[in-house]
Amino acid sequence: MSARIIICCGSGGVGKTTTSAALALSNAINGLRVVVLTIDPAKRLADSLGIEVLGGAPQEIPMADISGSCDAVMLDVEETFEGLIHKFSTSPESAKRILENRYFQFASTRLGGVHEYMAAEKVRELATCGAYDLVVVDTPPSRNALDFLRAPDRVAGLMDGAVMRWMAMPATRSGWRALELGSEAVAKVLGLLVGKETIGEIAQFFDLFRDLWDGFHQRSIEVQTLLASSRTTFLLVSSPAPSARREALYFLDKLSEMKLPFGGFLINRAEAEVVWKPNLQEQLAGIVPTDLASSIVALPSIQNQLAHQHQRSIDALLAAGPSRAKHWVIPDLGRPVNTLDDLVQLGASIPQIEELH
Amino acid sequence: MSLLDKRILIVTGKGGTGKTTVAAALGLWAARSGRKTLIVECNGTQHVAPLFRQPAKGYTPTILHPNLSSMTITAEEAIEDYVIKQIKVRKLYQLVFRNRVMGPFMDAVPGLHDAVHLGKVFDLSEDDMTDGKPTWDLVIVDAPATGHGLHMLAAPQSLMELTRAGPVYEGVKLVHDVISNPDKTALVLTSIPEELPVNETLELANHLHEADHEIATVVLNEMIHTELPSAEEWNTHKASLLSHADTPVQQAGQLMERWMSRKARQKDAERRLKTLITAPLISLPLLPDRALSFSELQQLSHLLEGGLAKT
Repeated sequence: MSARIIICCGSGGVGKTTTSAALALSNAINGLRVVVLTIDPAKRLADSLGIEVLGGAPQEIPMADISGSCDAVMLDVEETFEGLIHKFSTSPESAKRILENRYFQFASTRLGGVHEYMAAEKVRELATCGAYDLVVVDTPPSRNALDFLRAPDRVAGLMDGAVMRWMAMPATRSGWRALELGSEAVAKVLGLLVGKETIGEIAQFFDLFRDLWDGFHQRSIEVQTLLASSRTTFLLVSSPAPSARREALYFLDKLSEMKLPFGGFLINRAEAEVVWKPNLQEQLAGIVPTDLASSIVALPSIQNQLAHQHQRSIDALLAAGPSRAKHWVIPDLGRPVNTLDDLVQLGASIPQIEELH
Repeated sequence: MSLLDKRILIVTGKGGTGKTTVAAALGLWAARSGRKTLIVECNGTQHVAPLFRQPAKGYTPTILHPNLSSMTITAEEAIEDYVIKQIKVRKLYQLVFRNRVMGPFMDAVPGLHDAVHLGKVFDLSEDDMTDGKPTWDLVIVDAPATGHGLHMLAAPQSLMELTRAGPVYEGVKLVHDVISNPDKTALVLTSIPEELPVNETLELANHLHEADHEIATVVLNEMIHTELPSAEEWNTHKASLLSHADTPVQQAGQLMERWMSRKARQKDAERRLKTLITAPLISLPLLPDRALSFSELQQLSHLLEGGLAKT
């Protein structure tokens, strides 16, 4: 059976990377074999985990007092894509021809959606390899992450039957493969947009890719089924910042539109209200100078302003979400989260896998 | 040369760091200075017009304030615009773009969607009225967040590498030249005073520097200004408060420690951005969690203007 999958999505700057790492660690401490995958090109996860550089191969996060295990992986798009091409090619020669195609070399890392598609493929690979009980996925900031959810669809669309048939037709005099009815116009417009030579290269790629099509298509259906299955949970990471809330609601809409399993909100860095005892000033005055005591006593006015702002924002988020949606509020540690110990401390406010159902 | 004397300002930064608000405040400042200004949003988002309590009209500029308008670009509309300009026959365009292979094919060209966004911005900035005066003195782009914003700026270059020659190459080269000409185009980066967002801003600045883009200014949002004791004073006394385990005195000490730490992080963020990016830094206050009023927006625009006048 495949591993459980938790996908953390949300806008940038809400602490997704940190939260994913904390979630992975806390479930590992409780005995699960966990791997956390970051598909964010910035090597931020490595920073928070204290690992020098993350590579495409799983690296164990060194931890004492842990009954499970926790690995971290950074997505290597090219490596994953090449792996798939080798896997689905009918012969090593045809794989080689694709890998040498100029358009492929150019597009394999830059094409919108490829990055995300390979991430989805990597999730599948980690979830089904048998080495893990839980895969935690840190998605890229904000709306790009939707491509991650849509990627298999998109690539399938890119390479779907119509394009394949179109590409498979015999070459025309002008040297590039074509063309159905209205094709002269299509040719003209495409030529205008990106040049005929380029179109030829793209066409050649599609042509070579035809052999691999069934494999890719089948695989993208598997990935999609896995992401929509009850083994997978999407958590929306947010912060009390209004912009983060707007983005979270946007995601929520998309998840429900795509019928993907929503597990709840993780709300990061919430500030809590404080109330001082009336005699605090006197108590403090015995310990520190009077002006310092006064500025401490004055703190709640600003602290609570922030705390109330946060509470209103959390309320608004929950009100806009599905009724009885689960949520976890993760307190602000009051300092940057830099160490494993910090991550473990955050883990205390973070759901264990069994709480998600 | 004032920031406003450029033709294009591109506002980018990490998600949630206040790009839209900064774009709107810059727009208000430019409009106040008498420049006909257009704020352009990307990928169909329409957050600017509501800030001015005006209905958004999509791809059509909507007037927000004297001298100030906004619109949003979608790749589809920009492609249509471009293609029709090139082939001059709307019917032909419709024939082609109704073809079911077109959508997937457009997706297969890396950078095309981003490049047409910038292409449209370029067109808008070059657009003249019948009397020969420019339609817009200044176009402000509320660009996508960091990672994607970088892709967008790199898109013309990317398409140039792919096409190598021909009309599209020439077209995107024009766009590329204007976007990377510091006399015409300036980049405004937004950030917030936390360690990771600042790291990301520095990383972005590095990438932009490598790609020969000039950063005109960095706006640091969400600064909380509080009257707090000096670090020395606090360090002298904090142990005496924190040692009162499980008492209100200790809690009070902890709260003060939090705020001192926040202040230190803010200072650190300012210091790192100032020393590592050679562009003026403007700090703006944390804003309330609600739609800003017009006068608040105006206040921000004055803070930007004042901040840049000092540098």
